[in-house]
Amino acid sequence: MQYRPAAAELLDAVASLLEADVIAAVPPHLQHQVRVAANLCRILERETQLADTNDDAERVRLSALFELMGTGDRNGDETNGDERDLTSLRADLVARLDDPAPLDPVVERSVREALLDTLRADLAIAKPGYAAPAGAP
Amino acid sequence: MSEVAGPHAALRTWLRAQWQLDPGEHLHVDLVGESTAGARRRNLVFDIAGGPRPGRYVATVLPTADIAIVGMADEAMVRMVARDHGVPVPEVIGVCTDESVLGGQFFISEFIGGETIPRRLLRLVHQQGLGAKIVGQLGESFARLHAIDPAHAPAAISAPPDPVGAALDAVHAVIDNLLQPEPAFSYALRWLREHRPTEPEQRRIVHADVRTGNIIVDHSGLRSILDWETAKVGDPMEDLAWVCTRMWRFGEDHLTVGGLGTVDTLRDAYVAAGGAWDDHRYHWWRVLVTMRWGTGLAGQAAMHLDGRFSSVVMAASGRRVAEMAYDALMLIDAR
Repeated sequence: MQYRPAAAELLDAVASLLEADVIAAVPPHLQHQVRVAANLCRILERETQLADTNDDAERVRLSALFELMGTGDRNGDETNGDERDLTSLRADLVARLDDPAPLDPVVERSVREALLDTLRADLAIAKPGYAAPAGAP
Repeated sequence: MSEVAGPHAALRTWLRAQWQLDPGEHLHVDLVGESTAGARRRNLVFDIAGGPRPGRYVATVLPTADIAIVGMADEAMVRMVARDHGVPVPEVIGVCTDESVLGGQFFISEFIGGETIPRRLLRLVHQQGLGAKIVGQLGESFARLHAIDPAHAPAAISAPPDPVGAALDAVHAVIDNLLQPEPAFSYALRWLREHRPTEPEQRRIVHADVRTGNIIVDHSGLRSILDWETAKVGDPMEDLAWVCTRMWRFGEDHLTVGGLGTVDTLRDAYVAAGGAWDDHRYHWWRVLVTMRWGTGLAGQAAMHLDGRFSSVVMAASGRRVAEMAYDALMLIDAR
């Protein structure tokens, strides 16, 4: 285990340097890139704190959806849904949505709600406040 | 040595030939600066003294021909057609397809003063209370553009016979090639298919990228619509949907049209100027263009990763995909 500062604390230090000193010191054509880089550090700072929880919640949500669709764990084998690779769970849902066969309206609503919950969690990392109720699409 | 002499000398030589000036006739070209607008194209601002058209102009230079969405000569032609029909577009006074003059094809258009940078533009607009006026001018401009007989469009621009089907096919092709599965896009595509409108009765010239960031505004209101490189023949409602995409509001989320004003104002102005507004098509295109921009951001992340265009800005686009996916899904429910 690394000694402190933790990853989030180091990213905070780098972001602070970029925001406080580097932007003012670089020529104008680089300022936008430095601002973007500082924002990426802020995103990663939140990501180190929230991503594991978010990914676990998304796995649970997707497994519940497959349960609701009656397809259970499509790729079966020994692992249960909670332990399966998130990418393959997402790929399974993409395959079901690409299939033009109609979805039960309850399932369809549940899929949308689950996807929105995941996107809200992603946005809490990538752009806090974006999914606030006032943010009209 | 033209490279040492710089672009003003190359421009002067080219303009002298264009205007067939006598050797003794005075023509002075003075480079004023380079505009920041436009990520890919250079915009050289220069003053001309002497000759038939003295004044301030912009040379828009496409660095290499292979990244052109629409060729510079075709874009110049679309601009002239739109301008002839009352759309505010800077007048084009020359087109050059010889890449050796400025290092790429270019056209020269009149310089229009005013604000283009989104946050500064919105600050000016709201300080002066110009939002509703500008949205009305945008609605009227769209109606004029969409009234043009598409036979006037240059033959080289995209003109699919089925703009709705072509747009659906294009987003489908992109989401099949994402770097990782994104079920929100698949859900949106499914909705788009199930709610697909008929093909438009009348295909028209559409700009396809009118938004805060591609317009010039000053104290008098809307001065110009810029960046016609995406122009094509398509469904007019695509233009009205794209200008309402949340990304172009720059935080002024309650003002749906580019952070400037409301959809009601846009619709009223469009209809009053003869445009045929269709709520269903508007809503469908809102979902489509939102999702398509999400896939565009995903594409920028891919271009960074595979080295086609490595930059921290392109890399950061990957962390913006969720914004578009979220908006697309929220729009699907918002009706």
